[in-house]
Amino acid sequence: MSTSLDETLRTAVHDLADGAAPAPDLAWRALGRGRRLRRRRRVGTAAAALVAVLAVALPFVLLRPRPAPPPTAPPVTVDPSPVIRSAPGPNWADGPLVLPGDWVVTGTRARAGAAGPSYLLDRGRGRYYGNDRYDAVLPAPTGSLVAVWDDGRPRQVGLVDVVRGTTRWYEPGRALGSPNWSPDGRSLLFTSNRVGHPGFVVLSAAGTVRSHAVDTGRYPCTDSCPFLWSRDGREVLLPQTDPNGPRSEAVRHPRRGVQFFAADSGRPTRFEPLPGDPAGPWAWSPDGRLVVVQGQKEPLLVEAATGRVVNPLPVADVVWVGDDRLLYRLPYGSRDFVLADTTGRELVRQPLPEDLALAEVTIAPR
Amino acid sequence: MAEVDGEFTAFVNERGAALLRVAYALAGSQHAAEDLLQNALAKAYVRWPRIHGDAEPYVKRILYHDQVSGWRRRARRAEVPVAELPERPAAGDDSDLRLLVRDALRTLPPRQRAVLTLRYLEDLSVEQTAALLGCRPGTVASQSTKALARLRKLVPGLDGLTNRTEVTR
Repeated sequence: MSTSLDETLRTAVHDLADGAAPAPDLAWRALGRGRRLRRRRRVGTAAAALVAVLAVALPFVLLRPRPAPPPTAPPVTVDPSPVIRSAPGPNWADGPLVLPGDWVVTGTRARAGAAGPSYLLDRGRGRYYGNDRYDAVLPAPTGSLVAVWDDGRPRQVGLVDVVRGTTRWYEPGRALGSPNWSPDGRSLLFTSNRVGHPGFVVLSAAGTVRSHAVDTGRYPCTDSCPFLWSRDGREVLLPQTDPNGPRSEAVRHPRRGVQFFAADSGRPTRFEPLPGDPAGPWAWSPDGRLVVVQGQKEPLLVEAATGRVVNPLPVADVVWVGDDRLLYRLPYGSRDFVLADTTGRELVRQPLPEDLALAEVTIAPR
Repeated sequence: MAEVDGEFTAFVNERGAALLRVAYALAGSQHAAEDLLQNALAKAYVRWPRIHGDAEPYVKRILYHDQVSGWRRRARRAEVPVAELPERPAAGDDSDLRLLVRDALRTLPPRQRAVLTLRYLEDLSVEQTAALLGCRPGTVASQSTKALARLRKLVPGLDGLTNRTEVTR
């Protein structure tokens, strides 16, 4: 050979890059996408991913229950003086990061576009450990399982049992979307993105893979269409597009509700006429009567049975941590965690350590 | 707002082609590259008042991180399959070897391809690559090693080439 490995690789990488064809309308398309992104961010939809499980009674004596506001509630008002807790110091990794409502940060990863390590909470030892072994991790909201991904194992997901010290690898299917842990931390739900094969896949902790096809002609969803767990983990749900509403790629598609399916069989079970998309199983109140959704224009608190709007909220990606308390993370600015009442009134603010201000986090009950 | 749009458009018109080359090396196909770059540019547009003087490094950081981190890559990375292993080229046939290596690069996992792109397209050091990807230099080295092992498996002709220390340290 007349060339070194370095030179061959350099040339090949340049050859690969040279394969890019001109994109004359790149600026115009990027401008359009940027405007849509800015518009969505302004209405507060780009919240951090929150992963959590069942609600825990709030121990805060400072929190006074407030009656539910009337249907025609005024725009969200923010209490000018919520309780502001201090940010954990530089040794934050030595103990669990406890959030208002007695929830805890279970994992972190650098957000897209930023450098930084990822951390996992070791519940047994009560401290965080850096992850540099796997390319992505997703801790279950309860129990000892962590879903892991390794770029060297395409199409596989690993289930690490941190108590037993075991790792098992599974191949749940192709073209699967982002997974979600069931509330009991025993099953992973994937949305199938295979063209012509809409549906969902459930991977159990025992390694059982069950795929369920869904008739999207009968249950149509457009725009963002992930399958999500119901609050009790027995069903999964899919947002349903309102076929009569005007659609534009500049705004969210109109919704007529969410359709539920049995998680174990894929059988359609029930329908709730929600005017938007829930963020996950904990978007429902503990009694299932109320639910927080991302409406077409703004986050909303609505009645699950009727879809009636109770009041707007500042953030849609919330978890209920009590009968009338919501926990969410501010999507911009300080990115503190906030405990609020059902009107959106801030009660407690908890800053994260400076190291994690820009990180995405997963949370669960303590 | 019109001023922002004008500056942003001018930036994309001036640097879009160069950025698209990087995106193509990362994503491996025209469609995926344009999607990756448009996403990065959209994020840059949102933050334009703060980053417009330093837009290109910002967009590149977004490109690399969108490609190697987060869930987006999960749906994208299996898009460029290779039907069969390339055959070993005849000795001394560098152009054939280059083409085989180019095609084999498309089959690498995103992080490995990103490491090679940063090292060989952007000419960054191991330390600079680690800093940009937010990992340790040792991780860059291990990803390089994995990438080379996979390329050697796909392109046996690489066995005859010298492996310089700087590639995998």
